[in-house]
Amino acid sequence: MAKNKTKSYALNSFALIITFLFAFALIASGNINNYYSSLLISVLIAIIMTVSLNLTTGLLGQLCLGHAGFMSVGAYTAGIITKSLPDMPLGLSLTIALLAGGLLAALFGFLIGMPALRLKGDYLAIITLGFGEIIRVVIENLKITGGPAGLTRIPRMSRALAESPKDSAAIQFAIVYWIMVMVVTSIFTLGRSRHGRAIISIRENEVAAEATGIPTTYYKLLAFTFAAFFAGIAGGLHAHQIGMLTPKYFDFNKSIEYLVMVVLGGMGSITGSIISATVLVTLPELLREFAAWRMVIYSLTLVLMMIFRPSGLMGTKEFSLIATVEKLEAKWHSVFKRKEHKPKLPFRPHYDVWENQPVLETKNLGIQFGGLVAAENININLKDNEIVGLIGPNGAGKTTVFNLLTGVYEPTQGDIILLGNSIKGRPTHEITNNGIARTFQNIRLFKSMTVLENIKVAFHTRMRYSPMSGILRSEEYASEEHGIDIRARELLRVFDMEDVADDNADSLPYGLQRKLEICRALASNPKVLLLDEPAAGMNATETQELMDTIKRIRTRFSVAILLIEHDMKLVMGICERIYVLNYGHIIAEGTANEIANNEDVITAYLGMSQDEEEGTKPC
Amino acid sequence: MSLFINQLINGIHVGSIYALIALGYTMVYGIIRLINFAHGDILMVGAYTVVVAIGTLGLSPLAAILISIVICALFGILIEKVAYKPLRNSPKISSLITAIGVSMLLQNLALLIFTPTPKPYPVPLSVAPLNLGDIQISFITILTFGVSIVIMMALQTFVTTSKAGKSMRAVSEDMKAALLMGINTDNTITLTFAIGCTLAGIGSALFCLAYPSVSPTMGSLPGVKAFIAAVLGGIGVIPGAMLGGFLLGIAESFTKAYISSQLSDAVVYGILIIVLLFKPSGLLGKSVREKV
Repeated sequence: MAKNKTKSYALNSFALIITFLFAFALIASGNINNYYSSLLISVLIAIIMTVSLNLTTGLLGQLCLGHAGFMSVGAYTAGIITKSLPDMPLGLSLTIALLAGGLLAALFGFLIGMPALRLKGDYLAIITLGFGEIIRVVIENLKITGGPAGLTRIPRMSRALAESPKDSAAIQFAIVYWIMVMVVTSIFTLGRSRHGRAIISIRENEVAAEATGIPTTYYKLLAFTFAAFFAGIAGGLHAHQIGMLTPKYFDFNKSIEYLVMVVLGGMGSITGSIISATVLVTLPELLREFAAWRMVIYSLTLVLMMIFRPSGLMGTKEFSLIATVEKLEAKWHSVFKRKEHKPKLPFRPHYDVWENQPVLETKNLGIQFGGLVAAENININLKDNEIVGLIGPNGAGKTTVFNLLTGVYEPTQGDIILLGNSIKGRPTHEITNNGIARTFQNIRLFKSMTVLENIKVAFHTRMRYSPMSGILRSEEYASEEHGIDIRARELLRVFDMEDVADDNADSLPYGLQRKLEICRALASNPKVLLLDEPAAGMNATETQELMDTIKRIRTRFSVAILLIEHDMKLVMGICERIYVLNYGHIIAEGTANEIANNEDVITAYLGMSQDEEEGTKPC
Repeated sequence: MSLFINQLINGIHVGSIYALIALGYTMVYGIIRLINFAHGDILMVGAYTVVVAIGTLGLSPLAAILISIVICALFGILIEKVAYKPLRNSPKISSLITAIGVSMLLQNLALLIFTPTPKPYPVPLSVAPLNLGDIQISFITILTFGVSIVIMMALQTFVTTSKAGKSMRAVSEDMKAALLMGINTDNTITLTFAIGCTLAGIGSALFCLAYPSVSPTMGSLPGVKAFIAAVLGGIGVIPGAMLGGFLLGIAESFTKAYISSQLSDAVVYGILIIVLLFKPSGLLGKSVREKV
């Protein structure tokens, strides 16, 4: 196994180097003329643009129609910098210019992302389109950028890097090629770190990601800023390839062009992006002979491609040669440095003992939606290791209480005390990290991720390594990832789910999906577990099994459990105490027996007599 | 003051055209949640039809315009059947890319057939403008405004009261449930495209009367503007498209007059961004909160 990985790592590096040497030699010897070498550079720049857009659109799942705007920021910044440093050797001024262009584009990405990422789907697409166009119009009206006529006489990499044009073209290729390799590898490794998992989990289910402890706003901004940074670098390269910039080049059609490349390659597939960028840049050039028809053929291909392969060339899969890179890189340390990374297992829960006080307590908790009072004066508490039920007729406000406890809704009155501290007004992911985990009434898994990855997302906040060490695959990355893998598998073993660890979450049968959701909630190491109708849709045997599981969880993970359930057999069977909610108020509290004989409760569950109650579902 | 009022009239003129086109975007989006990027290009199809009908076939202007409206509707149906229907169950972004592809296809076919050289719109309209002191209102402005108001009211009545309109609303709420209730969703969607493109056809004629130059890419700019108008008003909402169209037209014409004509696009996008940030579903849109 280890040998295999080493082999394919060598293979990948070998392929990259051979491709490079081959093209480099052809350009340097003049066997590839200027036209083709320039086309090659265009392809490489398009790859950087497409792969970086794939980070926001494919991995994060947010439609962005303003990518060309970030490119233009990078291009103009870099162009202006090298033009104003004519005495410096281009090699040096170009480095400064590219970095500055990338950073300024990243800043734009950050500033635009902050307000824009509150929107979703088509609205986000439109607002990014708007920002992209505003950038273009502003550039068109600035003096420093040369206005509508554009910025000219930017030193061209194919001329200014060496004495002879052939050498210069070859050096240009070397620069752009290795920058492309770096960008693609960074996005690839980032995508396969804890940060990448967090980003993908947002695409899969934002609400669940937040409830699993992922700071979703942070990760959306992170992905957006990174993508803008790389687009800025691509822009800088473009400026020094062409030698002149016009604002019109960066209009929203350009953004759409890159989006087309991403979708055609397959959203989330980086190798797909590389292939489609290559094909879509060269195709119009190859069709030059059919000048008049080429755009017709191009657009027709686009439509047909989408009709017959709507998920793109590669779907979300990766081409195997490159997919092996990451496995190999993990082996880098052990093979080349002869050093074993010890798994780091710092994931033991360390809560104080809360014997005397309740772990969770609400004080006059309530919320109003406009004039509607959805919950009022809710006073509930959970003691350590207690199983408590929350029941009530449909629409009584049970899920609203859960949403208040987890910060999905901010309470308009009262307070929530978790382990002695108020958590009122904290964002959901912080509350999760402070010890409340939940499941959902309608299952919310990260569907296209594997069972194991679903669990790993929940381990996110117990890992420490930075995005940078994720990209660079540092020691820290390797040991934490190794540790998390062991812990996640352990957890799955507790639930007898180890054999489905590598299956996609949405391929699991219903009962297992519910179980996985509970498992994921436990992975975030909670002190309080909220279960929202865990038995919904289960048959009698499955429900029985679930009751055993819940009891087992309580002892094994030492959590307090609050559960919403309509199945009275389950509630009466395992809950030590029960709260009854009706019209947003707690109308009764007590043991199963007390509740079953409470007048108010019987009235609330209309039409039920005492005799019928046990074992029947209220309607 | 007269500059102000003249610009207002100008804005209302352009705005009514945007509103008409925006209605097509809004109806299609409302029913299948697709931004139909090819919608603007229907404008171009209509314009070239008029050019051919008058220039080559020698028809009268009125007949040519009527035919062009029918052709636009047919194009809408054709595009829906061929390009969008097979993708109804695919990811939304695939349909979006297809729409972009269709738009490019239409533009490039037109480029191939009619060459990039702009052609004059062959409908002369010489009616004396209405003079009210300093203020001058051209006949085209009155015609455009009148036609769009009448159409919008008719459309609103159609959607809220007729059987077909109710099916449309049902399909836009929940396609599967509508299907189970015995609504022919395929026909309803086709009808939506047909109506949307008919409006684009009428918009095309009104647009060309104001700017009588026909070229293969003439549809993309008014297309984008109308789309923004639809989003501004709340996409999927018919009165929203009207409101958005008028607002956009007036904002644009005031920016051109009082600030700078180069910056008018930036102002338009700026308004869009500000509105979306404060009211993410547009001015009249209903905000949908994900239920947890």
